[in-house]
Amino acid sequence: MNLTEEELVHQFSQPNRRAGAFSVIVRTYQERLYWHIRKMVLSHEDANDVLQNTFMKAWNGLEGFRGDSQVSTWLYRIATNETLTFLTNKRMRSQSSIDEVEEGLLQNLKADNYFNGTEIQLKLQQAILTLPEKQRLVFNMKYFDDMTYEKMEAILGTSVGALKASYHYAVKKIEKYFEEE
Amino acid sequence: MKNNKNILIEEMSKELPFTVPENYFDQFALQIEEQIGFKKSISRKVFKPWMYMAAMFIGVLIMGQVFYTVNKNNTTRNAENYETYVLSQVDENSLADYYVSEPAN
Repeated sequence: MNLTEEELVHQFSQPNRRAGAFSVIVRTYQERLYWHIRKMVLSHEDANDVLQNTFMKAWNGLEGFRGDSQVSTWLYRIATNETLTFLTNKRMRSQSSIDEVEEGLLQNLKADNYFNGTEIQLKLQQAILTLPEKQRLVFNMKYFDDMTYEKMEAILGTSVGALKASYHYAVKKIEKYFEEE
Repeated sequence: MKNNKNILIEEMSKELPFTVPENYFDQFALQIEEQIGFKKSISRKVFKPWMYMAAMFIGVLIMGQVFYTVNKNNTTRNAENYETYVLSQVDENSLADYYVSEPAN
């Protein structure tokens, strides 16, 4: 079923067609959102939990969605917030520092059955984990997804200039990590 | 030295080193649809016009067969009823006379 954004938004406002329209957006965006989340939380189980929360939040807010932004932007925003909340909660639950949480994520990644990277890919993930969370988001969205800065601005609410600077410094830090290791 | 490192980052495979369980996304979508109470109805477009025609034809055949069977049973039952009625109108002596009497030439 190929519905336009306008048709989808129109169906969101109709109670008898809302679930059908939502099913379309789940099937359209689930993979993109999953990888967006997975790159941050690293383990499959955690990514699955956060993705479920993302779609349930979206479902509960569907009635109020008026199409002020693109559906994909709206979903990415929810997924990003859910991911950052998940990481914050994880840190609070374990009462550990950011570094300890990142170290925990890395250990989980090594033990994850659904990680099949090479040594160099693991090292890149280690390097990315040294970045602050928001910079990590920016780096992943640009480096792996090649997302435009304008789209990132709409999702993260950060100006294009600041995003460019953030990405530039992230690349420098990762290069430095590779030099030193 | 530094340039080499730059090249390394840019030349590194951007493919993600993660996998997901088999059929994960199909299962995930179904799970969410279940949670929101969405049941997929079978689209009417699945049924093609020739399928409607075939169903009608089979229906007519079945109805014809049923009608024929019922009608045949009624005819047999009517014949049996008539024979029983005729026999009931004749007493036993007359019947015996009928069976033993010589055929009239």
